[in-house]
Amino acid sequence: MSVLELNGRIFDASTTGTLTLTGEGGAATTDVTQGLAKAWVNLEGTGSGVPARDSFNVASTTDTGTGNYSQTFTNNMSNDDYAHNVSGRGSTVCFGSPNDGGYATSTMALYLFNVSGSLVDATYAIATLHGDLA
Amino acid sequence: MIETPEFQGTHLWNRLSWAKENLEMYRSEYCVVYEDSMDECAKVLHPDPNWMACALQGGILPPVTSYWELKKDEAKPDFVKHTRGPELLHNMKPIGPMTEEEAIEYLIMKDVPESVWRDWDKGNQPKMVICKKEQLPPTREWRNAWKIDPELKVAA
Repeated sequence: MSVLELNGRIFDASTTGTLTLTGEGGAATTDVTQGLAKAWVNLEGTGSGVPARDSFNVASTTDTGTGNYSQTFTNNMSNDDYAHNVSGRGSTVCFGSPNDGGYATSTMALYLFNVSGSLVDATYAIATLHGDLA
Repeated sequence: MIETPEFQGTHLWNRLSWAKENLEMYRSEYCVVYEDSMDECAKVLHPDPNWMACALQGGILPPVTSYWELKKDEAKPDFVKHTRGPELLHNMKPIGPMTEEEAIEYLIMKDVPESVWRDWDKGNQPKMVICKKEQLPPTREWRNAWKIDPELKVAA
């Protein structure tokens, strides 16, 4: 076990691989590893074929159609019950959502919609994922 | 070129953190266009630029067979969560540096449905082609109607 104290906040790296730090108020500890985003991507939604601008833990991005994109992981998730947030930026984009059919331990998929509920492409399509790694 | 640390036994996610800090992204000019359903438009797969940097560097990524094994595990009816991550991803000996062509072949076998890449040239027309980005339509107009040209002549 390694412990580091910085300005009264204690970081504790256990032998089991978890990293905790003292939480707000100082009484409880927070598991840092559980709180990290395990994958993220920023896509060129209006680019031909929707390539990634930047990412983490993404192996490839696939343009499946208008407003419909998927990404595969380099380090798979442990299960497909992860939390996956989606957003987009563009003149017609209203909201984003995960694609139900795209949930797998190797893939996350997203939809972007306009105000009428139709799929649209975004200048920026962004997804972040929290969950457990395989 | 920076030397890759000895990563066998290091969590793959930590290796990706090292790569993100130390390697320049590599944007391939190639992409993979494929059709896995007659009723759907063509899909376009791009290698991720950070992943390409790992592939070209070597010593970071597990063999593609590790992903096949994970896929088999996930397909089992009693699957709840992966239990072979350490064995298949983190403790497996990482593969060495790949050329860009080898990296794209690896990615096809990892991320394109096997039914497509195993028999890509069987049938009346190719189900998959590797092309340059500039060969894609320049705009996304009629995106949901994109198909591989049936008259396309491909080299094996």
